[in-house]
Amino acid sequence: MDNLNNMNDEDKKITEETKAEAPEVMVSTDKSEEYLNNWKQERADFINYKKDEARRVEQFVRFANEDVILEAIEIVDDLEIAHQNFAKQNLGGQAGELNKGLEQIVTKFKELFRKYGVEEIAVSGQKFNPELHEAMETEPGGEKMVQLRTGYTMHGKVIRPSRVKITK
Amino acid sequence: MSKILGIDLGTTNSAMAIVEAGQPRILENKEGMRTTPSVVAVGKNGERYVGVTAKRQAVTNHKNTIYSVKRLIGRRFNDVEVQGDRKLLPYEIREGKQGDIEIKIGDDWKKPAEISAMILQKLKADAEDKLGEKITEAIITVPAYFDDAQRKATKDAGEIAGLSVKRVINEPTAAALAYGLGKPAKGGSASGGKDEKIVVYDFGGGTFDVSVLEVSEDTIEVKSTGGDTHLGGDDIDQRIIQYFVDEFKKESGMDVSKDQQVIQRLKDAAEKAKHELSSTLQTEVNIPFLTADSSGPKHFSISFTRAKLEELTRDFVDRSIKLTKHVLDDAGLKISDIHEVVLVGGQTRMPLIIEEVKKFFGKEPHKDINPDEVVAVGAAVQGGIMQGDIRDVLLLDVTPLSLGIETLGGVFTRMIEKNTTIPVAKTQVYSTAADSQPSVEIHILQGERAMANDNKTLGRFILDGIPPAPRGVPQVEVSFDIDANGILNVKAKDKATNKEQSIRIEGSSGLSEDEKKRMTADAEKFASEDAKKKELAEARNLGETLAYSTEKMIKDNEAPDAPAGAGKIKEDDKKELNDKIEKVRSSLKLDNVSEIKSATEDLSKSAQRVGGELYKQAPPTEASGQTPPPASEQPKTGEQPKET
Repeated sequence: MDNLNNMNDEDKKITEETKAEAPEVMVSTDKSEEYLNNWKQERADFINYKKDEARRVEQFVRFANEDVILEAIEIVDDLEIAHQNFAKQNLGGQAGELNKGLEQIVTKFKELFRKYGVEEIAVSGQKFNPELHEAMETEPGGEKMVQLRTGYTMHGKVIRPSRVKITK
Repeated sequence: MSKILGIDLGTTNSAMAIVEAGQPRILENKEGMRTTPSVVAVGKNGERYVGVTAKRQAVTNHKNTIYSVKRLIGRRFNDVEVQGDRKLLPYEIREGKQGDIEIKIGDDWKKPAEISAMILQKLKADAEDKLGEKITEAIITVPAYFDDAQRKATKDAGEIAGLSVKRVINEPTAAALAYGLGKPAKGGSASGGKDEKIVVYDFGGGTFDVSVLEVSEDTIEVKSTGGDTHLGGDDIDQRIIQYFVDEFKKESGMDVSKDQQVIQRLKDAAEKAKHELSSTLQTEVNIPFLTADSSGPKHFSISFTRAKLEELTRDFVDRSIKLTKHVLDDAGLKISDIHEVVLVGGQTRMPLIIEEVKKFFGKEPHKDINPDEVVAVGAAVQGGIMQGDIRDVLLLDVTPLSLGIETLGGVFTRMIEKNTTIPVAKTQVYSTAADSQPSVEIHILQGERAMANDNKTLGRFILDGIPPAPRGVPQVEVSFDIDANGILNVKAKDKATNKEQSIRIEGSSGLSEDEKKRMTADAEKFASEDAKKKELAEARNLGETLAYSTEKMIKDNEAPDAPAGAGKIKEDDKKELNDKIEKVRSSLKLDNVSEIKSATEDLSKSAQRVGGELYKQAPPTEASGQTPPPASEQPKTGEQPKET
């Protein structure tokens, strides 16, 4: 042990002497440490960046169809309005059958949406929640919601809020 | 060290960005949106809403929904502007004890800075959520015309939100920084020593601002600023809606201007049409069942052209140009004094605006960065400069031009794309273009043109000793490796024999600035011509490959040692294929792409048909491997790289 301690002391002495004699060695040691730390920092940043990027790509893939779905939703809006208009007129016979067909088309679209994680936002019997609903009109003292345009979520994210009218 | 958040605290919308790995990036908010409405509300039970949720509940709670607070921040209650805006705002404001402004929200009276702080708090929280780390520092932007009190109040808002505001910078300055216009270049001042004048034209949703900046070494000074605080994209939307209402009235005789639901549907259509007309000349607006009367449902259908949109809104654009001229006059500058023009604000996507600004200044404005986000990006860049992130990145060089090799038909095949950060290494596997080809020549080039001849040769070497094999079979692995000093090492290795050759090129990035510019400009100038040449070379390669593989298919199926099931190509088919091969070969002698393509396609169809018949004839277990794969799966020859 003594020998070892002596050796260590000796080493220290030599190092001190070297440092005293060659300040450039110290500078180089400091620099190499600085470079090593910078390199470690860069590596860490890069690895973190890659992880973030992977998450972003995952999100991107998950929501890659969002724009197309939103455009398709607009067409479904029109079909729904058409269906509601026919329904209001309470047409029987052939016109009534046509309206049933229209309703089936809307249902098929909504089934397709569900396959891509797109769900309708509930309005009936719900309390107004601006996270999900957008109020377009209101009656003083109104509490109930009447849906004006269907809202949708995609994988839990609101891609279009429901437009509602608040009535008494 | 936590990141500095760059925040564009806008009148209508706000945005935030950070610098990550040396590059600015917009951060989405909790709702997944890249901008956040600058709206705050307090609900009946005291719950607080900020951003899009506040906006969505506005009509149910208009007295407690605060928007456009930026118009009030740091102002005196008696300011003319405040008194003017007061008439338009649905919420209540009063004079504070110091003559400042107080806003009623819920049961409380708050200062505008406290309301802005709520917006900043949301941005901070959403950024922390997104990044998974604490944000404590920010750069916030303000309009160039903000006085000290308004700047101080904005800074206070940041502090209230728990942010240490490192700097409050002007919005036009941030926009210039986003384009790297105010940033000191490597080893010099922003503009190489001389002062540059920049105009920032900001046509937002609700306000129009124009500023003249003077950029000198280490400083960006606002020389003059002006605009109209009540001119914006919303005015343009209103014009379109009014036009739709008028057109519908002409068509149906019905006035729908008082029907909120109909107006909302027209507003949606107007916004959509406006966006579409930024990239197309005409759009169809179809709104079925818009309304109804006793005669039944009424639909709205109209062909809306860009020309009509421009006619409807030209006066707004003219006004903005007039205001721009005033601002230039105020700065004592002529149009010819302006070096750069930057476009900010979503409305500047409108082609008429781009065109008029270009016409007025006689130069192409900067518009590549999303105009809704450019100010936040610039704020983040300022944060990056302060933290040293941006300077660090500048130390890393990039390849000024693409690097690659010559492949079959004289085509330049890129290995490393232009602007790739170095050090970098790329490897691709190539093959031979002829049967029993004993060697390949690796011709290393630099440039942006499609054909090898038009680019600059950096070096060449030959890898020989490739064992005899049919074309497309040998695998030659070519590696490009550029080290941090820009020294390029190119190596080619025959994977079968492991024999390799390499070359070291030291001057790969030693091009002068002029040379780089010229080569890049040439690439743009000759883009269509080059594309034609490349298309011809590729069509020839494809034709030649197909002729070769079809010939091989015929040969394989008549050879004496052909496997069982082979040799069944009918004489008629053989003749048809041989004729078509001849046709392809003679078309290759000419420069007519369509002729080559049509002859190749014709041969391809016949080859596929005959190939299909061969498959049908062969016993199922022996079928595989006896006939060549379909043309699309043929081994790639010559220039075609294989994935490594």
